[in-house]
Order: sequence, then structure tokens, then C-alpha cells
Amino acid sequence: MTMNERLVEIFRRSRAGTFMKEAEYDLLLARRARELVHDYEIHFDSQQVCPTDDAMADRVFEAGLQLFTDVGIYHLDTQRVMKFTRGEALEALRQAPSTLHLGEGADQVIASHRSVEDSTPSLNLTGPAGQPCSEEHYLEMLISYAQEPYVEAIESGATLTYNGADIMAGTLMEVKAVQRDSATAREAVRRVGKPGMHIGDCATGMTAIGKMAASDPLNGLRPCDGRLIAQMCELKTNDDQLARVPHLINYGSHRINLMTPLTGGIGGGPEGVAVVSVAEFILGVLCYFATYHYLSITHIKWTNNSDPWGMYVLAMTGQAMARNTHIVMTDDPFTMCGPCTDELLYEVAGHAIIGEVCGYHQHGVGSTGGNEVDHHTGLEAGFQGEVARAATRAHLTRERANEIALALLPRYQDTFKNPKRGKPLAEAYDLRSITPTQEWQDCYRRAKEELTRLGLPFENGPYD
Amino acid sequence: MTAQDAQEEARHLGSALTKGDREAALAAVRRALGAGADPLALIQEVIVPSLVEVGRRFEELEVFLPELMASGEAGTACSQVIEEEIIRRGGELKAEATIVIGTVQGDIHDIGKNIVGTLLKAHGYKVIDIGKDVPAATFIDAAEANKADVIAASALMSITRAGCREVADLLRERNLREKYLLLVGGGSLDQAYASEIGADGYSSTASGAVEQLKSLLARSREGSRT
Repeated sequence: MTMNERLVEIFRRSRAGTFMKEAEYDLLLARRARELVHDYEIHFDSQQVCPTDDAMADRVFEAGLQLFTDVGIYHLDTQRVMKFTRGEALEALRQAPSTLHLGEGADQVIASHRSVEDSTPSLNLTGPAGQPCSEEHYLEMLISYAQEPYVEAIESGATLTYNGADIMAGTLMEVKAVQRDSATAREAVRRVGKPGMHIGDCATGMTAIGKMAASDPLNGLRPCDGRLIAQMCELKTNDDQLARVPHLINYGSHRINLMTPLTGGIGGGPEGVAVVSVAEFILGVLCYFATYHYLSITHIKWTNNSDPWGMYVLAMTGQAMARNTHIVMTDDPFTMCGPCTDELLYEVAGHAIIGEVCGYHQHGVGSTGGNEVDHHTGLEAGFQGEVARAATRAHLTRERANEIALALLPRYQDTFKNPKRGKPLAEAYDLRSITPTQEWQDCYRRAKEELTRLGLPFENGPYD
Repeated sequence: MTAQDAQEEARHLGSALTKGDREAALAAVRRALGAGADPLALIQEVIVPSLVEVGRRFEELEVFLPELMASGEAGTACSQVIEEEIIRRGGELKAEATIVIGTVQGDIHDIGKNIVGTLLKAHGYKVIDIGKDVPAATFIDAAEANKADVIAASALMSITRAGCREVADLLRERNLREKYLLLVGGGSLDQAYASEIGADGYSSTASGAVEQLKSLLARSREGSRT
């Protein structure tokens, strides 16, 4: 099936699939996921947040593929279930790219499929990860990421206002804000001397109109950049998401499949959510023609993924996809704590290490789980890349990754009920020089010393 | 059928509700009513505490969203049967309060709103769920049509939170602001924003929303007596 034929077929099935109430679909998906977890003998052990069982990883993939073909994709606008066969899913996976060119000119990087315990280090495609940002400091915010030595691409945050007024989705204000923010991202990469650096998205745009408004080769996002196409929990799409696909294909832009599976949500516990996540990867490949994927696991209560459930879903889904497909994917740490706390860096480190040995490139960081405006900085994102690279350099195995992640857990787990939200960018950085404060740099040094003690040796970093 | 039979069926009902077994719960409620159980007591002494217990387990992460959803669905179905029975006997079921709940215009994320709605129902409130991506005017029209006491508006995404402001502004414009309690919540909001738009209450959690609502209703009724 050609790309064009598949697009038309997706539309046809969104109109001709079985009609079903959303709540009915949710319960169907929940029940089937639970059955598949049982049938495929998928287990969660809180002491094995990064399992090493290849056979179980393959079973998670098979269960996810089975879930995808059994329950289909729910189309929220038409309330119809779009079904695809196993053959169609596998064919789409076969056609998906395994190597990507991100950015352009001297700043272009090549992102390739990574296998489990891959010897090639990941790329760090990072930014404020769609988190709420003030318009006042947005340029400095993005520069703080783009200037980091262990960062190869930036993504974006979501600003809240346009000239002080609330931005509203689907209105001219969204378009104005997207035009401004994509130009700000372009300016940020220019300012740090990396004008061709890949820009992952303009997250202020939430609708198709907003996302498309970022397409501007001169001052906005170029074909070498990307845009997100999101799924709603779980395995749901709508016309607004699907409408982005042909635009981005024609523009030549990367399509990034954004998944936010909820642990404790419709997929149930971590085993079920791993199965659901595999199905969501397949949705992204088949319907969004995704060139790469963000797996942004979200705890239903805390909105982070630095807990044992989140780490297990990351590890299990990553291994399942890395072993059974050739797609390019990224992890996406969401934390409870914020800048100027040691805990944030430990949360990031555990996630980065597991992501690194389970086939992902790096992406993030959702500091404070997206709960605080401007509580995200380049330092923790650069640190994520530095930790990931150190893990590959040290030939870390999944077993060692599991040990280190479990050793880090007690250093931050107690904050879940009372998170240390830390400081916003304006207090964590000197905004004139865009340099982390001494306090924030001290946290970075302490975290590296601690990780070194746990067996992760580092080379030189920016704030040693 | 004896009072003992009715008690036994009520126990079955509670058990079926906590397991989220809709069919078993419906069968138990019908048998309990047939055995002469007091319909109101079934709601107040069996359905509400059972669903509150499931809500507590969900908050403590002992059960997951599907279990909460299944129990909520079963509870709603049983309440409808009981309400029909009360009306058949010439009575009237008066909820503690009626809440119109929805996700604001532009936002299609409704899991948080659904959880709050389920917990509110579990606590015995009448919940009118108007869905997601709902224009401000629809919130108010639904509140007027259902003689509601509370409007609850949710927004997950940062650029949709302005939809909550629109609800608050439109209530003021239509001189209805004092008529309804306005509760807001969702990932993109915080107390500062809720205060800025003049909402009566804000909560960052589902259980917090229930507590907030109870407290607001108590204060509102206290105020109306003085």
C-alpha cells in the first residue's frame, strides 16, 4: 500500500469502523489488556525495574500487537473503532524508517535505530518537553538547552500567554503564539551558533492549525525539524491529529508520535501499560507515519515516570520494540522534583540509564511533571545526555542499569508525596549570561559524584 | 422474602459493586428491592460506602482506573434502578447537590474529569457530565437546564485553561455568578490561576476536588442560612 493509499484507507476506516461509546471501548481495552498480560505471562517485579528477560520482551511485543489488532484504534470524533490486521501492522513497521537525518548543515545529526544494550550512544533530543513556560523568559529557556554540550536537538515548551493575554487553542491567538515561539526556537539555535540544529516541535500549538502554523522555512520550523502528533489515552486519535499527517508529509517534516500511557490508568498496572504502549507505537507507525516516537509514560497520580512502574514500562516496552522492530524512539523522563534539587537529577539519571540500555534515544525532561511554570532548565537535560553517554561508554548491561536505578530510587522516592519543586529558570540561572547558579551547579556535581560511586564513570562535563 | 434476605442481598450488592460486576450488582439490587429493602438505605448504606471504598483504593493505588470505572458504571446502573423504584413508590430521590462537569473548549483530555465525576457520584452527588471540548455557554446552559448547584470545569493543557476563565466571565456577564459554585481543576491550573479568574474552588487531585466541594457546599449552605 502506498503512503497515499494508506492515508485514504485510514480516513475510510475512521468513518466506516464499528460505532462504540468511548466508555465501552475503554472497558474493552482494559479487559483485553488484562487478559493478554495473563496469557502472555508478563510479570512485574519491583526489584526488576529493568528486566533482562528477552523472551518476556518478545512476549510483550506479541501481546501489544495482538491488543492492537483485537481492539483497534478509537476515533474520538466519529466514535468508531478503526481496525487493522496483523499483516497491515507488520507491513507498516517494515516500511518505517530506521535512520533519520535531524537538522541540517553542520548541525545535522543522524539518529539510527538502537538495539538493547547498543554500543552506539544515544542522541539527546531535548527541551522543556511541552511543559508550561512564561513568555518572558522563553528565549533564555531554549538557549539554556541548545547551548548544552550533550544536547543534539531541542524540543519546546508551551507558553501560556501572548503579550500577557491567555492563549486559546484553535483561535488566532494560538497561531500568533506558535509563530512567535517557533521563531524564538529558531533564534535560540542561532544564538548558540547551531543554526541548523533540529527543533522537535512547537508545543504551544495544540491543534492542527497551531502545529501547521509553525511551518516556516525562514523563521519557524523547517522540513528538517519535526512536529508532534499525539495520541489520547489510550489508543485514541481524532481528526485534528490525523489532519497533521498529510501536511507534515508534504512539508517533508519529521512526524513524532507522542504517547502518554497512564500507569494505573486504562491499561491497568505496569505490565498492562507496557502492552498498551507497544500498541501505541504501532498506531504511531501506521496512522501517523511517525519517523520517530516519544514514549512519555505518566503516573496517574503523580504525573511522573521516575517510579518503579514508570521505569518498568520504559524498560519493557523499549526492549520489546528494539528487539522486534527497527524504529527510532526516545524516552521522556518526567520527574516530581525541580531545578536546584539533587532529587531531580537522580530521577533523571535512573530514567536515562534504563532508556540507554533499552534501545532509546534521550528526550525530556518534564521537570516537576509539568506542574510548575518555568521549572525546567537546560542543566538537567544536558545531564540526562551526559549520564546516557556515560552508560554506553561503560558498556552498562540491563542488570547493572537495574542495580543503579534501584540504588537511586531511595534518594528521591520519599519526595513523591511532598515534591521538592525547586526553583524556576529565573532563579536557577543567571539570565544575562544564561549560566546555572552556583547552587544548581553544586547539585550537578554532587549527583555526578554519587553516580560515580555507584559505578558510572564520567568524562569531563560542563559544570565540573 | 425476609428482612434477613434483604440484608443478605445488600451484602451481595456491596461485594458486586467493589468488584465492578455490573450484572451481579443489578441482580442483587433487584433481589434486595424484591425482599423489601428500603431503596434509600440501599443507596446511602450500601452503594455510596462501597463506591467510596473503591475510590479510596484507587487513590491508594490498590486498584487501577478500569476497576474504578467498572464500579462507577455498576453504581450508576444500580442507582437508576433504585430511583425508578422510589418514583414507583411515589417518592422522590433528592441528591445532595447537582454538579455539571466538563472539560473546557479546545481540550479533549477527559480522564481527570471522568475520575472526579466518578468519585462525586460515589459520594452521592448527581453528576451531569457534559463531556469534553465544551464551550463556556454550554456549561451554563446545562447548569440552568438541570437546576445545578455547581459547575466543575477541567483543563489539562496550558493553552486551554483560558476556557475556565471564559466560564467564569460568562457567568458574571449573565449575572449568574452567585447562583453557582464554580470549581476548576486539571493539569494546567493552579490555585493562583483559579483565584485570578474568580473560581470558588480549585483542586489538583480528584479526591481533593470532592473534599473541596463538600466544604464549599457546607459554607454556601451556612451562608444561605445566615
